Amino acid sequence: MMQMAVMQADQVQDHLVSAVDRMQELGAEFSDAKSQTVRVTGVSSLNGNLRQLVEKGTGGVCLRAWVGGRWGYGTVTSFDRNDIMSAAESAVRNALGERKSDLRLEPASVKKHLKADVRIHPDSVDLSEKIDTVLELDKAQAIDDRIINRMGSYSEEIKDNCLVNSVGSDISWQEVRTLCRAMSVAADGQRMERYYDGPDSTLGYEVVKDADIEEIGRVTAKEAIATLSADRAPSGNLTVISDPMVSGLLSHEAMGHASEGDEITKRRSFLTDAVGRKVASDVISMYDNGTVRGAHGSIPFDDEGTPSSCTQIIDHGVYTGYMHSLETASQLGCRPTGNGRAENYGKRTWVRMTNTYFGPGEWDRDELIADTRDGILCDKMVNGMEDPVGGCFEAKCLRGFLIRNGEIVKTLQSFTLTGKSVDILCSADALTKEVILDGGMCGKGIEDWVRVSSGGPYMRARMIVGGGQ
Amino acid sequence: MQSLSKYQQAEVYASEAVVHTVYIDDSKISNIETKVDRGMMARMAEGGRQGKASVSLNRDTSAEECIRMAESVLRYSPESPEFKGYAVPGQARISAPDVWDPKVENITPDDLREIAKVLIENCRVNIPRAQIRVSTNVGCTMNSNGVDVSHRSTLVYGHFTSMAVRDHPGEGMETFHGTHLDLDPVAIAHSLSDKAEAAAVCREFKGSEKLSMILPPSELGDMMMSAVGSAIDGENVKYGRSLWKDSLGKEVASKCLNIIDDPTVRAPLSCVFDDEGTPTERRPIIEGGVLRSFIRDSFCGDSTGNGMRRSSVEAQGAYERTPTIKPLNLTVLPGSLSRDDIIAQTDNGILVEKFAWPEADELTGRFGLNVRCGYIIRKGEIVETINNALLMGNMIDAVANIEAIGNDPKQMGVISVPTMSFSGTELVGN
Repeated sequence: MMQMAVMQADQVQDHLVSAVDRMQELGAEFSDAKSQTVRVTGVSSLNGNLRQLVEKGTGGVCLRAWVGGRWGYGTVTSFDRNDIMSAAESAVRNALGERKSDLRLEPASVKKHLKADVRIHPDSVDLSEKIDTVLELDKAQAIDDRIINRMGSYSEEIKDNCLVNSVGSDISWQEVRTLCRAMSVAADGQRMERYYDGPDSTLGYEVVKDADIEEIGRVTAKEAIATLSADRAPSGNLTVISDPMVSGLLSHEAMGHASEGDEITKRRSFLTDAVGRKVASDVISMYDNGTVRGAHGSIPFDDEGTPSSCTQIIDHGVYTGYMHSLETASQLGCRPTGNGRAENYGKRTWVRMTNTYFGPGEWDRDELIADTRDGILCDKMVNGMEDPVGGCFEAKCLRGFLIRNGEIVKTLQSFTLTGKSVDILCSADALTKEVILDGGMCGKGIEDWVRVSSGGPYMRARMIVGGGQ
Repeated sequence: MQSLSKYQQAEVYASEAVVHTVYIDDSKISNIETKVDRGMMARMAEGGRQGKASVSLNRDTSAEECIRMAESVLRYSPESPEFKGYAVPGQARISAPDVWDPKVENITPDDLREIAKVLIENCRVNIPRAQIRVSTNVGCTMNSNGVDVSHRSTLVYGHFTSMAVRDHPGEGMETFHGTHLDLDPVAIAHSLSDKAEAAAVCREFKGSEKLSMILPPSELGDMMMSAVGSAIDGENVKYGRSLWKDSLGKEVASKCLNIIDDPTVRAPLSCVFDDEGTPTERRPIIEGGVLRSFIRDSFCGDSTGNGMRRSSVEAQGAYERTPTIKPLNLTVLPGSLSRDDIIAQTDNGILVEKFAWPEADELTGRFGLNVRCGYIIRKGEIVETINNALLMGNMIDAVANIEAIGNDPKQMGVISVPTMSFSGTELVGN
């Protein structure tokens, strides 16, 4: 399979160059052409039986033409020269019309060809071993009759990308992502709760080899059962210690989306013109960093061919900057930061995060709990939602713990956190030493899912808390 | 199919989508896209073992590669007692719904530009982000049991945001889900303007109180889907994770609630055969508050014609998806009250204009949602507009505590709902 993908990229390369030439001939001021193949292997189980076993191989070409301050796109699921040339013509046709602006893009010319940075390439591992891993993960959850659903899953995604553009860039790279998950559903009468755990990364199969699969499955089931006796969370403006996963959700939803360059150029973000302004307490620093080795959101290049980089967003409470695509960087007179990303060859490229996280503090976790008189400790997130316009956010937590006089006294069922992002970050007074990143998918608006991670240390701040009934 | 004849059972699904999208950024047309997307999925089974693979059809050899990949998967697949076989052929039970619009088939970039221009020109406030996507979607399913069906539909999807600055910035949102190019850009522009202007004068809610929750279709659609859609899903029932697993024939909702799954009318997933080739039908789900049916695909067994690969918003990539249980057009039958009537009969409540993201937990029905813009109602009148509060409750409990059903149904993906009012929710602010 790997051989096939490489051969295909070689064959397509010439077509991409011709397509860029054609778009320039037809009047494009800048153009790029990207081919992509995506291979996915997915294995999942339910209660000891295989539920899904599938291989997918998709691929296509995306052509973009920049004319008069606007993009035209032409996309085809074909590597045929004629189809690609036809899509190139569509791209220019789509970009034509009334000029939006005279904005010029200023991409760097990059020539580089990279292989995936993995120790054990998933292609080198027999499918039977992946199936065994999933079934082991499933079996390990069978610790109690109250576990009604044991689910194990493994997935790998191998993306081969090739990009050329009208300033001479010639890039190819491979991205590998490996993910393994256990999820248990526990029931006691009509009451049901769930818990999940498992590693993810842009590394290879070593992610699975290095994990204690049996332990992950067993602990997942144990925690699902423990949540059956959880109480409803208290409501109101409370002291909350977010775990690294929920801290990550805060960084991503509360500040990350609002720091995407396109939200700034449209003045849709509450952080427009905020550079140099105090937006958090002194203990808070925040980054978007596409270069973290192994993190789920890491990329060598973005989907416009810009090398990924580390953007500092908050420095000790002071707001420092935005993430950019080629377009927003030119609009604001900045350098592109490698954040022009697309879900795949068939989707729009715009400003997206990579790995977004708060920097570390100086506390230990136990020390932080002991120092908290009344509060809530979060344990894992469900999902979150940004609010760049209003400056708020919403974060749903899978469960938590009630803290009284410095001790955990009770498990709490799922609850939601909200509040004004700046108020919350200004109330943050303590962070722990270790930063942990957690991988997932990020949609912008309602779709365009890209792989990201978010994280941070444990963080103590004031937030509005409410739990469903 | 011929190369798959050596297997006990085999199935091929192929689809082609042509998609045109116009994007608006900052009240200007920023991108126009044209996509052509073709692909297939092959599945075969021997005993309880299954092979499955999907590819985009990007070369002459893609179909053969797909079958080779699926065969390779089959070799590794352990036996599963859960596999019941692929769909069996059946006679159509409904007549073909009107889901093909020739105007969509023939649309040009200039047509899209024109719709976008009308929207922009008629909106009093800024449109920071919007998209209109129109697609043709043609698919076919063949299997070794003799299923040989095809389907074609058009899809029109719009997602629009607006922004106004008054006391502070406020945001509005509108969506359009349909099969025909009958979206009204002028009406959408006016609604976007009204919503953003209302959100821009919200005040932050303080304190907490129990009150009634009134949800318009835009917020209720996803809430209903995540709670009710999950509770009627045959696989959730089979594996014990539906709260209604033992409730067939029992009262699960207020007597005023009637829900049918209706693929006979214009709706994004309406069809005569599902994506596995099983005939669909108009199916009562809840009648007078009593649960009448679950929905199933062929994997679950005893399929009700709800095995779907297609999406209600996205024509691209249907061939990549394994069929899963999905309502075709879950329809909450409307009542007789207008939204104003519902407000007038509410003593103490909140009409939610916009949640951060409307959803309930699929397992438990719980929700705790950030209200971006809501209207507080006292004694039948709106007294103030609020934001930044959490509205908490349980959607499974809420359908048993319905106070009113409106007469204003709107299509929201695979569900059509009117405005509805529920008792027993709690609002918490700063």
